[in-house]
Amino acid sequence: MATATSIQNASTAGSGMQARNLMRRIVGLPWRAVNWFGGSAERHWKNIAAAIIQVCANKSRSILTTLGIIIAVTSTITVVSFVQGFGSYVTDMLRGFGTNMVFVLPSSPGGMQGRMLGRVVMDIEDIKAVGSQCDKVRRISPMMFSNVTVEYGHEKVERVELQGATEQFQTIRNFYVDEGRFYGPIDVDNGAYVCALGREVLKELGADESIVGDYVYLDEHRFKVLGLLEKKGAVFGDSQDRLVLIPHSTGIKMFPFLSRFLPFVLEVTSEEDVEEATLQLTQVLRARHNIQPGQPNDFRILRQDELLRDFEQVQMVATSVLTGIVGISLIVGGVGIMNIMLVSVTERTREIGLRKSIGGRRRDILAQFLTEAVVLSTLGGIVGTVLGYSICYVASLHPSMVEVTVPVWVVAVALGFSAGVGVIFGIIPAFKAAILHPIDALRHE
Amino acid sequence: MIASSTKPGDALIELVDLEKIYRVGTELVHALRGVSVSIRENEYVAIMGPSGSGKSTMMNILGCLDVPTAGKYMLRGRDVSTLSQSRLARIRGRQIGFVFQTFELLPRTTALKNVELPLMYAQVSRKKQRAMTALQRVGLEDRATHRPNQLSGGQKQRVAIARALAQTPDIILADEPTGNLDSKTGEEIMAIFDSLHSEGQTIIIVTHEEEIAARCRRVIRLHDGRIATDNIVSRPKPATQYATVTAQ
Ligand SMILES: Nc1ncnc2c1ncn2[C@@H]1O[C@H](COP(=O)(O)OP(=O)(O)OP(=O)(O)O)[C@@H](O)[C@H]1O
Ligand SMILES: [Mg+2]
Repeated sequence: MATATSIQNASTAGSGMQARNLMRRIVGLPWRAVNWFGGSAERHWKNIAAAIIQVCANKSRSILTTLGIIIAVTSTITVVSFVQGFGSYVTDMLRGFGTNMVFVLPSSPGGMQGRMLGRVVMDIEDIKAVGSQCDKVRRISPMMFSNVTVEYGHEKVERVELQGATEQFQTIRNFYVDEGRFYGPIDVDNGAYVCALGREVLKELGADESIVGDYVYLDEHRFKVLGLLEKKGAVFGDSQDRLVLIPHSTGIKMFPFLSRFLPFVLEVTSEEDVEEATLQLTQVLRARHNIQPGQPNDFRILRQDELLRDFEQVQMVATSVLTGIVGISLIVGGVGIMNIMLVSVTERTREIGLRKSIGGRRRDILAQFLTEAVVLSTLGGIVGTVLGYSICYVASLHPSMVEVTVPVWVVAVALGFSAGVGVIFGIIPAFKAAILHPIDALRHE
Repeated sequence: MIASSTKPGDALIELVDLEKIYRVGTELVHALRGVSVSIRENEYVAIMGPSGSGKSTMMNILGCLDVPTAGKYMLRGRDVSTLSQSRLARIRGRQIGFVFQTFELLPRTTALKNVELPLMYAQVSRKKQRAMTALQRVGLEDRATHRPNQLSGGQKQRVAIARALAQTPDIILADEPTGNLDSKTGEEIMAIFDSLHSEGQTIIIVTHEEEIAARCRRVIRLHDGRIATDNIVSRPKPATQYATVTAQ
């Protein structure tokens, strides 16, 4: 009994060892390739130094070989940085407006349903009703939009955006006067001819801050300039500072037909209540407009938080799609590297034979050629990074350009990927070199 | 280290019925047809024979660059024919010093770096120092920073010998080391081998030249893959030299 067990033990131990040996054989070279990274650091450096010498010995060839990688990395960095640059500019701007802001504008649904609803109306009474009946609404203001010609002295600027709102505008839109003052509730009640000018308008009029207190003509109406709005900058070359702000009541006097087609903006008590506020105002407006259940709204609600979320999503998709497309060029670059490494292995067959004859193991040869491929592709990555950086830097110098900064992660990803491409496309040539028979290699002509 | 007894097991190299068959297409080429030979420490052997008789084939097997088709190769009492690739590489790196007819130095690499190469693979310490010592041994310490294209043929072969010596190998194997050199330069190379032998080094040289073979202590002639003659050239050495070898 005891003998049987011991024999069995011995045999399982034996087969276990066999299995392990078999495993080692199967896993063999690739495992060693991985293991190599845990190997002697000194030989590592030797390999890298030798690879750099090799790369420098064939300068023009190396440059041409890595061109694919260089282009791939340059475009990755540039494209991603641009998308990120514009993206963060827009999100910052949207954030600046406050995420608890809601726009409501009259709008007829398309098709049959729209026609059945009849005329779309949104007037000051609707706005007042929303303001008084919805407890989640903190502030509310009509937002009247039009275009006017601004005249000051002999200067004349056409097609300036005119916005009409209550004195609440500043707080709701987070857009303040930083010179002079804003109009007050009395101006709004009286429909006073007073205005606040955007900085871009001021510039185009060729005026300076002394304009405050003076008069301008808006479509032939004489307005007193009470203040100047702070500078907001431009989005995609479209200046946000090219506007004139007046009380909406005054605007309606200038453009009476707008009184029945009045969008409005409101500020919800808090970000979490945006949903609730939207429901409340929908109820109020539907009731006031006599919309039957099942019929669509005759207004549209634009929520700042949704806008922001949508935009961030678009930005993310754009980034990944562009990165993916550009990533394909990395593969092309990798094939270039593989090609040149295969040539290199053939050219240096005798060297490989010699190295083997003086004690170089397969893994040493593998490491040598793999290092060379990785050094080549990483150098391409570094050159590409520098080029990408330069392009972004130069682009940022342009005045109407948003600031394009290269995110650190892009550099890390670009360099990581180019090194990875070196490993993936270098492994086949390196393998080819490693398994050469020493004698065959030494006899190679 | 190794007792100088005559028992075959104590030989440094022991070849038993060694055969090597190459397959070229469907044809089989018998390069070695049963070679048995025993070589002891500090022997100085010349291998001769007509072209195609299997000299290089035998050297490659001795140098663990190739494995025999049949037969046994014992190196220091260890059967080498069953070892794995990486074990063989290790033996090539530590116990064998190969010298080639065509030098096989790495271009664009200094003499010193060329000599350091086997030391790098063997991962030993003080590489530079050892490599320098080896270069001094062949009288080329003042050419350490020269590249192969700045050296003469004889100097290149001396660098190659230094590279073979760097790891203090058990055997030096030289396959027609003077084949690419004029006779005067060949003479210089042989002088180096002579002095290495007198210091206790085991050396095996393949050559076509009788005057080179004449400097060795033993001449093995191959013919068509078999040993035709195996003569000890009796030239007794002073006993003190044997004493230094055994003391090592
Ligand atoms: N890789 C190989 N494939 C096929 N046949 C080979 C190979 N290497 C050698 N041979 C054959 O084996 C035989 C012995 O070759 P080997 O190179 O050992 O001769 P050698 O004695 O060194 O000749 P030489 O003096 O010309 O160098 C020859 O017939 C040769 O054609
Ligand atoms: Mg030969």
